Amino acid sequence: MTRQDLVGGGTDEALLGGAEPQRTGTRGPEEGVGYFTRFGVTETLIRETLAAALSRGGDYSDLFFQHRVSTSMSLEDGAVNRAFTTVELGVGVRVVKGDQTGYAYTEEFSLEAMRSAARTAAAIADGPSRAGPQHFHVFKDLPRRYVLQTGWDAVRPQQKLPILEGLNAAAFKADPRVAKVGLSFSDEHGAVLIADSNGRIVEDVQPMTSLYLSCVAEQNGKREQNAYGVAGRAGLDFYSTDRLERIVREAVARTTILFDSVQPPAGEMPVVLAAGSSGILLHEAIGHGMEADFNRKGTSIYADKLNKPIAHPFVNIVDDGTNEYARGAINVDDEGNVPGKTMLVENGVLTTYLHDSISAKHYKVKPTGNGRRESYRHVPLPRMRSTYMLPGPHTPEEIIASVKKGIYCSNFTNGQVNIGAGDFTFYVKNGYLIEDGKLTRPIKDVNIIGNGPKVLEKVDMVANDLVIDEGGWTCGKDGQGVPVSQGIPTVRVASITVGGRNA
Amino acid sequence: MSTTNSTSLEETARRAVSLARQHGANEASATAGRMRELEVQWRDGRVEKVSEATTRGLSLQLYVDGRYSAVSTSDLRPEALERFISDSIAMTRVLTPDEHRRLPEPELYAGRAAMDLMIEDPRQAQFTAEERQRFARELEEGARSADTKGAILSVTTGFGDLSREVYRVSSNGFEGSTRATQFAASAEVSVQDPDGRRPEEGDSGFARFFEDLPEATALGRRAGERALGRIGSVKGASAVLPMAVDHKSAGRLVSMLLASMTGASIQQKRSFLDGKLGQKVGSSLLSFSDEPHVKKGLGSRLFDGEGIAARPLSLFEEGVLRTYFIDTYYGRKLQSRPTTSGPSNLAWKLGTKDRAGLLADMGEGILVTSFLGGNSSALTGDFSLGVQGFRVRGGQLAEPISEMNISGNQLDFWNRLVALGNDPYRYSTSRTPTLVFEGVQFAGT
Repeated sequence: MTRQDLVGGGTDEALLGGAEPQRTGTRGPEEGVGYFTRFGVTETLIRETLAAALSRGGDYSDLFFQHRVSTSMSLEDGAVNRAFTTVELGVGVRVVKGDQTGYAYTEEFSLEAMRSAARTAAAIADGPSRAGPQHFHVFKDLPRRYVLQTGWDAVRPQQKLPILEGLNAAAFKADPRVAKVGLSFSDEHGAVLIADSNGRIVEDVQPMTSLYLSCVAEQNGKREQNAYGVAGRAGLDFYSTDRLERIVREAVARTTILFDSVQPPAGEMPVVLAAGSSGILLHEAIGHGMEADFNRKGTSIYADKLNKPIAHPFVNIVDDGTNEYARGAINVDDEGNVPGKTMLVENGVLTTYLHDSISAKHYKVKPTGNGRRESYRHVPLPRMRSTYMLPGPHTPEEIIASVKKGIYCSNFTNGQVNIGAGDFTFYVKNGYLIEDGKLTRPIKDVNIIGNGPKVLEKVDMVANDLVIDEGGWTCGKDGQGVPVSQGIPTVRVASITVGGRNA
Repeated sequence: MSTTNSTSLEETARRAVSLARQHGANEASATAGRMRELEVQWRDGRVEKVSEATTRGLSLQLYVDGRYSAVSTSDLRPEALERFISDSIAMTRVLTPDEHRRLPEPELYAGRAAMDLMIEDPRQAQFTAEERQRFARELEEGARSADTKGAILSVTTGFGDLSREVYRVSSNGFEGSTRATQFAASAEVSVQDPDGRRPEEGDSGFARFFEDLPEATALGRRAGERALGRIGSVKGASAVLPMAVDHKSAGRLVSMLLASMTGASIQQKRSFLDGKLGQKVGSSLLSFSDEPHVKKGLGSRLFDGEGIAARPLSLFEEGVLRTYFIDTYYGRKLQSRPTTSGPSNLAWKLGTKDRAGLLADMGEGILVTSFLGGNSSALTGDFSLGVQGFRVRGGQLAEPISEMNISGNQLDFWNRLVALGNDPYRYSTSRTPTLVFEGVQFAGT
């Protein structure tokens, strides 16, 4: 349960967090609901459902309506010959009493079905009924971090086909060793509506797209396989010529270099992490451990480290929901709070946990906009958005030159962490040996394992070249996956265990 | 909450196939499903979360003028469903035709075993919220009973059960339904290590029938003991050593092997087992098969995801690879007869000793009790995984170890299998016994 997977502060602006219901006058029943009116959702339906949710005396209740249409098209053996669509439509009802939660959901938006779900969730409390909101405050001034010219619901499949066919041809053209190309193009169109017992209603339209190119190459009877993917809360224009060329170039280069690659030696050694997707280090080594639910329960290795120095003073780490069009960006979290940029580590000092509304209430702080969930079938939990380290005082060249014998890691597939023990891993797909300050033999397929606080202390050089990775990362926690981003400048970890061979 | 019953699932699936054909599909399959899930999560003496829901959905495979798509929806309003199907067919029409894409040959539907798999516990429907809470509370009591030094920081337990019902119809003659229940119990324990770490470990059980779950306080106690056993763990030195993997964790290793046995990975040249059919790729102790008809099995089934009648399949015999998992589509592409789309339950040729006996034989080495992250290349077989467990000295458990990795290549690794236990792990579909390997590369200090 506390094992988290990744596959693939001061400026917090909790604009709505914990706010008293703002009574801005009576509104008509249809005014608060925009997108979801097409499914028959009205303020009356919301009011009646919230009344049932509070019928046993819960402190707080919220409804999470979701509509999401996910489509993907795949190319294999030269043809776009399969497509997949998933439609999700449903509503989750949450009732909170203290730090206890009741939860239920339904796929029917009838008053009868929603009331029944609400009464089920209400049973977490056992007291006299509380009155629900009679009027709603509709929050319409959300940030606009992913405005699309054309939503994915208006893009025809014929517009996507040439992208896939062009990438396939370009990949085969790029290198004669390419033997198989697989492509997957995914997009999501949809919206969420959050309504709560404080009388707040928020709606957000949340697009997403990703493209993944996988390739198998053959050389002298040997084969290797690798891939490159991009993702963002963006529209069709995300796929610029530049980006498409980069997808092919990276996928092919990352595959063909494997013919010359070896698993590195095993043991502790200095490790240099390249700018970009090496941000996986932050996600596993500190991000999960800073999620406030684990700290509230005393089960995180960071539970007693707030306001203490944990890293060199040039180490600054943020979790940021504001990066426009990023996969980890959100205008509003899944509890209705507007996310800003949260400082996890400032000048080497641990500053702020990542909060949902339950933990924020416990710590008596404003929610940080980290309450996220996979879908209406799940309760919100404190989750990361886009986690990255700010630039530091060194240059990538001097960092590589400083290492006598170690490895340089550039591409990753996945990672995992034990929150309480602090042990974490990430899997390196591509990199190089460093010998006498120079990148030498390419390396592949090696897991790196370290302990979060120990490794952060050992981050002893940070370069000025921050890159936020464009890949399609999904973070897993308690069986729920949410889209995230990550990034980092080039950094040096003085020593960490590399799971290589032939020690 | 949905009140969909058995009859309406059948009607929903039939109606979907008929709508698909009306809107231009030549062939179609539809699966209508309903699931009811109930769960209580308990922490440190009280309920933390209670959830309960009934969910429903419909999935369709559409074959339109030689083109193919697979779609699903939870929006079953009649007018929405018809529009969804017609939109999906329109989307399918723009794809490239694919001559390999057809429904299974109807003769593969035949021969479905006429037996009761015993995967539906009638007791599940009567299970009460109080019973779930009592089980969760007893799990915590069990965990705390293992703690003689006051080292436990927090205990989170959970109890959940579900019932699932699906009805599948294919336009070339397949019909079938499945009703199943499942119970799950888990306990996760955090302990204080004097050095500041707060290691967590746990244990869990899954079963089709409530009566087959482990007893609550015993399961909780094992979870507590596993967590307390982590205190004082150290990183060992990098070395090549014998490795035992306990039966609960060994499924992680087997999943690497199974990932390279799919028709897609063979046809797409992404498997280190490509071309190895009939060849010896592991030690002569490596023998296991796929057994879909295990009574009460967590992976048991009468037909697979395409409707193909389930049959036992030999996977490895004395280290020789016997078959791949080949579905209809990749079977046509590979010009090979379909077997089945993926594993159900695994059945192992077991050894004669329990874990303690195997460790005594091993003498020196490391017992792995859990894996952390890591990955493997399905194509080359290279792998690297994080591990924790115990150092074994003189055949006995010694100090706990953590923050270590193992690495290797599967073509070499499975030849290093030197012993299997007599203890298949019954709370999983892979049902692995304890496995012992010689000469494994560990990375540590």
